[in-house]
Amino acid sequence: MAQTLDVRGEICPYPMMRTVSALKKLPEGEKVLEVVTDHAPALDTIPTQAARLGFTTEVEEVGGSEWRILLTRV
Amino acid sequence: MATNAMRALAAWALAAVVFVWAHNHDTQFSMYWAFGLAFGFTLQRGRFCFASAFRDLFLLGHGRNMKGVLLGMAVASVGFGLVMSRQVGMIIEGIYPPAGNVVPLGVHTALGGVLFGVGMVLAGGCASGSLYRMSEGYVASWVAFAGLMGGLLVAAYTWNWWWETSISTGPRLWLPHTLGHPGALVVTLLALAAAYIWVLRVEHRAGMVLPTPPVKSATSTGVADDLRALGRTVFVRGWPVLTAGAVLGGLNVMLFTAQEPWGFTGEVSRWSIGLAGVFGAAPGPLTGADQLPGCVFVPSDGTIFNHMTFLVIAMWLGSFAGALGAGEFKLRVPKQPVRYAQSFGGGVLMGYGAGIAMGCTIGAFFSSIPSLAVNGWVFAIFLALGAWIGTQAISRIA
Repeated sequence: MAQTLDVRGEICPYPMMRTVSALKKLPEGEKVLEVVTDHAPALDTIPTQAARLGFTTEVEEVGGSEWRILLTRV
Repeated sequence: MATNAMRALAAWALAAVVFVWAHNHDTQFSMYWAFGLAFGFTLQRGRFCFASAFRDLFLLGHGRNMKGVLLGMAVASVGFGLVMSRQVGMIIEGIYPPAGNVVPLGVHTALGGVLFGVGMVLAGGCASGSLYRMSEGYVASWVAFAGLMGGLLVAAYTWNWWWETSISTGPRLWLPHTLGHPGALVVTLLALAAAYIWVLRVEHRAGMVLPTPPVKSATSTGVADDLRALGRTVFVRGWPVLTAGAVLGGLNVMLFTAQEPWGFTGEVSRWSIGLAGVFGAAPGPLTGADQLPGCVFVPSDGTIFNHMTFLVIAMWLGSFAGALGAGEFKLRVPKQPVRYAQSFGGGVLMGYGAGIAMGCTIGAFFSSIPSLAVNGWVFAIFLALGAWIGTQAISRIA
């Protein structure tokens, strides 16, 4: 079961910043971090920051202006 | 999907009703109403954000938003240059375009820029950014707007001191006075191009920046399909920030052609001062404010609304309609108490900064640089410094 980070309700740029710090803290053995956000601009910033840390990004629209972002260690 | 369209249609219908009503009262009202709708809609669709334009350069090495801002100002500079060259045919020292945002330059410009820059990063959005985020349901932005109103009021209390100390003696530097109309425009465009190159360098140093993934579209089978795709591009998908920047620049030129450059903190200050007056706490007369163009303080004159009220309220409604159509409206309530303090404090700093610098990121920057005014560039440099300080601060507030 992947770890989940819920950053709903957060203002800019915290969804991205908290994702980055969670990725940095993710234990070696964990492959996937799931992020739940309702902040659309984060969909622009998270993929690049994740890639810089060695993660690929998959975005899934949950609907109602919410997205589930799956970040997978390469 | 369909419900989103219905909700947006209801918002547009309301906008149309108010337009007709306003038009029957005063054609200025309806014109500003239409401009406000267009500005608000474009800000929301492009998620145009001055705070992230500056902050993301320092925080992430991303320049996407800044590129949109620079393009918007380049478009506006050409249009403003043309308008002003018609208004001021012969260049004479001391003669200024009546409505261009050329305001006295001084310490107040620099300090205003720094305070505004720190504030917008703390609050997670500048004045216009907070305005359209309010319409998207960001509760933190409502708090930031309240802070903005408070900060403007505090600045109004100190206005006369600033007027004596710095504003009244500050030079109004308008580039065409020294460079002529074409020269001033060329220098402004070259400076914007240089800023663009600097943004590219920042991005390059930070490493790769992934492009926003393209949206796959189905093969079209006719005009109806094309129209549907067009509708989705305009009303549902976010606009590329360069598109939004160019549209905002174009709208700004249109508004200047009709009347004056885009700006709105002057109007918000009128609300603050008027509200303070209700509680018997209005600041006294503000020396010199009525002689200056741009987003300078507007003393409360007892009227409830004027043409600018229509602009600001329409910006809310236009961005609200945009958010509804795209299904992007949602109440977003921050869970950490510190965010409310941050948003309010950021708003106060923005308000004070906009008060003494005579404008926000719109009036003192996005409309001032195209006015070929030196104060726009000075404000921009100190805005960047403030945003940098703000970026250091938010990294420490988890």
